[in-house]
Formats: sequence, structure tokens, C-alpha cells
Amino acid sequence: MELGKTLLALGALALSGCSVSFTDLKDALLSPDTVPEMTIPAVNRAAIESADLAAVMILSPTTGISSVAVAVQLRDAGVIYNGNDNRGVTLQKGLIYQTLGFGTNLQAVLTTPDDPIALGTPPAAWPDTVTRTYLIAGRGTRYDEITATCQLTVGGATEVTVVGVTHRVLEAVEQCETDTGESFNNIHYVDARSGQIWRSSQWTGPVQQNVQIDVIEPFDAN
Amino acid sequence: MDRVVQDRKKQVWSLVFCAAAVVPQTGAAEGPSGLLTAIDTPRAFDRAVDDLTIAFDFREDYRALTFGFQATERLQIALALPTYDDPGGSVGDNDLSFAFNVIGEGRNWPSLSIGLVGLGEDDRGAGEYVVAGKTFGPVSVSAGLGWGRFAGDFDGPRGSGEEGPFVADYLFAGESAGFANLVWQTPIEKLSATLEYSDVPNGTEDITYAAGLSYVPFDGLTLTGYVDNDGNAGARLGFLLNPTQPEAQPNIARGPFPYVETTSGRVTRNAQSPAAVLAVLEERLEKDGITVERFAMGETTIDVTPRSATDTNFARVTGRVARVLSGVAPSQITTFRITQTDGPFDAHVIVLDRAALDEAPSRPDAALRAWNAATFEAAPLTPPAGLKAPEPAAPRLTYGIAPSVKVDALTSDNLELTGVLNANASYVLSPQTRFAGRLGYRFLNQWEQIDPPTEPVARSDARAYEPDIIFLDALTAQHRFTLAPAVYGRVSAGYFERAYGGVSAEVLWRPPSQNVAFGVEATYVRKRAYEGWFGFEDQDATTLIGSVYANIGRGGTFMIVDAGQHLAGDTAVDLTLGRAYANGWRVAATTGWSEERDGALSFGAEIAIPLAWSSADGTGAGGTTIAVGGPTGDYGSRVRGTGRLYDLLRGTDRRRIEDGWGEFWN
Repeated sequence: MELGKTLLALGALALSGCSVSFTDLKDALLSPDTVPEMTIPAVNRAAIESADLAAVMILSPTTGISSVAVAVQLRDAGVIYNGNDNRGVTLQKGLIYQTLGFGTNLQAVLTTPDDPIALGTPPAAWPDTVTRTYLIAGRGTRYDEITATCQLTVGGATEVTVVGVTHRVLEAVEQCETDTGESFNNIHYVDARSGQIWRSSQWTGPVQQNVQIDVIEPFDAN
Repeated sequence: MDRVVQDRKKQVWSLVFCAAAVVPQTGAAEGPSGLLTAIDTPRAFDRAVDDLTIAFDFREDYRALTFGFQATERLQIALALPTYDDPGGSVGDNDLSFAFNVIGEGRNWPSLSIGLVGLGEDDRGAGEYVVAGKTFGPVSVSAGLGWGRFAGDFDGPRGSGEEGPFVADYLFAGESAGFANLVWQTPIEKLSATLEYSDVPNGTEDITYAAGLSYVPFDGLTLTGYVDNDGNAGARLGFLLNPTQPEAQPNIARGPFPYVETTSGRVTRNAQSPAAVLAVLEERLEKDGITVERFAMGETTIDVTPRSATDTNFARVTGRVARVLSGVAPSQITTFRITQTDGPFDAHVIVLDRAALDEAPSRPDAALRAWNAATFEAAPLTPPAGLKAPEPAAPRLTYGIAPSVKVDALTSDNLELTGVLNANASYVLSPQTRFAGRLGYRFLNQWEQIDPPTEPVARSDARAYEPDIIFLDALTAQHRFTLAPAVYGRVSAGYFERAYGGVSAEVLWRPPSQNVAFGVEATYVRKRAYEGWFGFEDQDATTLIGSVYANIGRGGTFMIVDAGQHLAGDTAVDLTLGRAYANGWRVAATTGWSEERDGALSFGAEIAIPLAWSSADGTGAGGTTIAVGGPTGDYGSRVRGTGRLYDLLRGTDRRRIEDGWGEFWN
């Protein structure tokens, strides 16, 4: 139930479309009533661990669709996760690079070379800003582009619980503004030492809005 | 009333609302011209690109149906079909209007627009204006200078007085007058107030001030009540839709099967039997709602003809087939050949180079890479023999009842609603051959029957047909066939429409690698009997009309030109210009010229809204079509209901596939 409230609260933040502070975050965590109903999938962590699978839980608050997906391919710098009904995401470390089946698909994200979310950089070494270009299918063969500049702020320590496992993390917020003046926020819960993001709510387009990723078991190329 | 005016009155407004749930978006005030207007005067602002408005305007002595379209960031196009009550009877009109935003609004400067209302005719309601506007918080103010209707000059002529299909010597001529309007978004949510000053004549008195209130009960619908500058109360109902903004989020159904590169160890390098490949292909595509109609596997190619009952984007269907094939086809298969079949025809073969496709998935230019991996070929007359071929379709009978509500000026003088109940039945012998019939009964607002004309006429005898009966609207047989690769044919016979029956033949050539098609239709008909279901009058006609169908540019713009001998024996040219959207929407404007018609051009509009746009999961076939106006009257008219081929093929144009190609990997 607590997990559900947390996820719903993050969804509320995703929908808010305005600047956010940690106070806002807490308020939203306590006031989850404005988000659509979503069923959180049941996850058998033991089964995932025994099968040695990399797995994530994906939640789309705007559509109420959720899924648990496992890593099926490593392509370039992205890990492709595939879940039930072939819904899935491609992650570049913690960055959502592509989504399938959660709303208006995000086709790809182009980002600056030092994007700490895409590199898994520990928060101590994060730059102040990153610029990303989001590609959405439009008319024809070339995707529509939305470019956003994000200010990164790392906050205090907290804990998040993902499918029964609690991680000690730092709260980090990205306040982003697109080239058309729209604003949105991304939220990450990141391990201070390793840079591993365990929970993240990221904007994936103007219609699909934020999608949340909970990392159940991280991908290990080795 | 002279012939020209009569022709203009005979606009057929068929506004058909079907059960498709079309929920519009944000509202906006529309005026008599269809351009963005306060009450009677224009505003200097634009809507969002592709915004489409439909508005009904009611006053005691005036009604109007208007369509507005924001074609580009700066260009508005509108069509208005007003009806005025005059002492001598009602007078209909047909106004095509344009507004061009010369300067966009900035922080320190206003926007500036130029407008032409009722272009091409110096007739009632025509006018021109220059208007500037500025927004101050919740208030937007526009002020300008107008000619014609905006200066109290309602009936012309302001030019040389010449008449013809298109006159322009009156533009910005005659008296001019200033106008101004103010729209205030009140503190009450969704309620706005309008105040206007103008010389637009709405009666005998000239009060010059008008005021109104608009309320948006939900996004896309605007209700406006107003008092015009002559003290007349009026009401306006405005709808706003945007084809690029689906009501449903796409891509919420199943995701696609993961693509597997040929180099992956998961792709078998051993020859698999075609049966094994087909079995996996069918099983996986079935989950996506795609059936495999034909399947053939050669040494290096696999031919698949898929069909989806729910997904109208064939690029996405092609992508899903390719994704499944990538994982199941042996590595020696280098080419996927995906055939699009639509009704009676195989439309195209999309040939995908597997090696090139391997380089595309997950790349930022994945759709472009997939497009570059594809070539279009004409479907062969004989598909490759393979493991699976479509079973001969069993003959089937379909039937249904379709009520429609029309605003019909053909048999009425004003914006009078008419209701027709149609009972349709068709017996489909094969995808190529069908028999169809339609009975109709007009249950709302019958017309008064008149005597048949003494001289043969093409269309102006509509009221001579017997009213208040169940009538046989159509009874036809059609056979469609492929003459050669990319050459399609059709023959049909029977009662095509209420007024004509006969025989018709058509040939259409559409090169698969081009964005243009050419067609010619020859039809011989006789005038159907004015009384009863069957029989003919002693009047016949032959039409021979050539057509060019061209997709222009990459913005979805298309143009259709039809030229040739029409029903009255006259040579005429029809022009259709429109925009097709990747999601199935189509917006078009029509006009026509006939050598026999010396009046101003008439204009029409057509809007096709796909069901998938408004369905909950973004899928579904069929949709709603709204058509108004267009060239009518005796001249420039052709037989309807013959079953023109391009109506079947337009959705499979190469450019339409390209439009949707961004969804290839979805």
C-alpha cells in the first residue's frame, strides 16, 4: 500500500507540469488523490533473482498502464526491456531512451555527452544542466523533435523501497523547460556512490508525460 | 430570381452525423465567414495549425453554416454557407474566405492580418479588411478598416459590375469603414464577453454596437449568445477539432514484438520449413490483431499479405510483420515482401531489405532508416504460389439502417433540417463483385412536388421527384478488377442515384513509385422516372471525365482535377484541394468551372474523421464524413454512385503510407 501511494504521488508530480521542490514532493506523496487509478503489478523478486534477470517495473500514470519487464537485448548503449504484452522501455543506464506500449511512444532521446542519468554518474559529479532532445513520431519518416534544458538539483538522503528491498538514496530533481516554453520535472532516487538510479520518474513526451521506472534488478553487462 | 442566384441556392448541404464519438477540443468564437471573428467583425489572431472549426449561426432572418481551417501558422481558410431571409424570399450564398497573418503578435507590437471574405464574387456578404490586434492579459483587442460588408456595403457591385466565374476588380474598392472588437476572458472560468463596434449591416437600423457572451461547457464546444448591431438576438454553436490531436493516446495496446537482427544468435541459420515459419508468424501476429492472408517463402524472400481489422496505419502493420519475421525467418532470407491488400485489390508490395532494416531499430532515425530500406512495387497480377493463399470468400449478405440528418438546400430554400432514413443491403459475391441497393425515406421536412421540366435538365428537377414515399435510391452491380500491375478497372450498372441509372466503366493507373494517379471514367445514363421505383424518362446523357490524383509535397496536401464532358453535355473542370493526415483525417475544399455556367464559382468542403481518432484505444476502421456545398446545379455535374476507384485506393497511396511511417516501429 505504501508503495502504491508513493507511485501514485510520483504520478501526481509527473502530471503537475510545474516546478517542484522537495516540499512539493512530500506534499504530493501525501496527496495522491488527483492521479488516475493504476494497478501495481505483483512481482516475484525471488524468481527474478534466481533466474538472474535484469528487471524493471514501468508505470505510466497518464494511461494507468504498468508492466514488469526484463532485459532482452543490449543495443549500442541501451538495454531493451520487454514485458507482458510486449510493452517495454529502452534504458541508457537510468535514462529512459525509448518506450513502447505505455501511451504515445517515445522513439528516442538524444542527450549531451555528460548526461549523468545516461552514464550512471554518481551525483557528486553531476553537471548543473543537461540538454536533451526527445523524438516523437509525427508525420512522415522523420520524428518530431522537442528539445529541453534541465537544471539538476541533488537533495538530501532518503530511502526508497522497490519490491521489498530498501535502498538508501539521494533525492534529485531535474527542472526542465522545452524550446517551446513548456516545463516539466524529472525525479530520481540515486545511489550516492554508484550512481545507480533505483527509482525515477521521467518526462517522455507531451502526451505520455512522465513514466516511472523502478529498478528491481539492475542490468550487469558482465 | 435569375439563374445564377438559383444555382447558388441549390447547394446540397449534407451534414451527416454518425455515431462515432467525436469529442472536440478547446473552443473559439466563429463568425459568419468562418474566419476567427468576434460577432460580425474579424479578429487579428490565428488558431493553432490544423485547427478545424464548424459553426452554426442562428438569427431571426439569417442562418449560416461555416467551416474554418488553419492551413498554416499564418493562413486561415473558411467556407460559409449563409441563408438570408429577404422580403422576396430567402437567398443562399457560398463564401470562400481567406485571412493571412502578415505580422505575428510580439511582446511590443500587434499582429496584423489581411482578410478576403467571399473571394471571387462581388455579392452579398463579400468584404475585405485589414486588422491589427493585441492581447493584454485576459483581453484581446482588434481594430481595423473594412470594405464591402464591413463598410455597410452589402450587395455590391463595387467593381465594374461584370459577372463571371471569378471577379476580383472590386477588392478593397468603394467605401471603407473602421471596426473594432474586444474579447475579454472573464474571471468566471470558460466564460468570455465580446463587445464590438462596426458598420456591418444587419437590418434597417444602425446601432453600430454589438455584444455577446461565450461559454465553453467542455473543450471543443463553444456556446455563444449575442445581440448584433441591429438589436437582433442570435445564437452560435461552435465546434473545434484538430486532426493532429487524437482524443485517445496511441500505442496503448500491445507493444510490438522485439526486433531481432540477423547477426543475432537468436536467428536460426538453419533452413526452417515454411510451415514452421508461418505457424510462428500467425501465432504472434494474431496477438496484434493481424491475420496472414497469404504467405510464400522462397530461397531468399518471404511474401506476406497481412490484414488488420483494427489498425488503419499500414506502416505500423508492416513494421509489426517485419519485427516478427526478424525473429523467425532463417538467416538466408534477405527480403521481406509485404503486400497491402485493400478491398478488391492488392495495392502495393512494400519490399524491405532485411540487412538495411537490421541497422534501424532503436536508432534516433529509425523510421527514416526503415523507409530507406523499403521500396514500392506494383502487386503482381498473380501472387507467388505459397503455403497459404486466401480462401475464396463465401458470398455474404450485409444490411443495415442508417439515419442521416441533412441541411438540404436542393429541395428547400433555407437552412432547413431534413432527415432521411436509409436501408442498405449489399450482396458481396467476391471482393471484386458486389450488388448493392438502398431504399430511402425522408421522414423530416418533405418537399412540395413540382411539374417535370419541359426541357431536359441535369439537376434542377430534383423537386419533380415524388415526395413522401419510400424511394429506391440505388440498385447497382459493381465489378472491380486489376487489368495489369498498377492498373485498376471497374464496371458498374444499375440505378446509381435517385436521378440517374445506366452503365459506367473506369480505368485507373497508379505507378507504385510515384505520388500521382490517372483515371478516366465513361458513363452512359438515362434520367430515372419521376414517379415510382423503376423506369426511365426520355432523357439520356453521356459523361467522359479524366482525373488526375496528385499528392503534393510532404505536408499531406493533395489535389484532384477532374475534367471532361459532364451530365448537361458541358465541358467542366472540378478541382479538389485538401490535406490528408497520417491518422486518416482528410480535409478538402472543392470548386468547379463549367463552360456553360457564367456565375461565380461555388465552393464546397469535405471532412473525413476516422473512428480510430476518437476511439478509446486509438484503433478501429470506418469513420464520419461531413460534406457541404460544392459545385451543384445543372452544369459541371456528374453521376454519383458509380463506385469510383480512387475512393477505394486513396488510403493506400504511397504518400499515405509514408505519412504514417513514423509509426513503423510502434
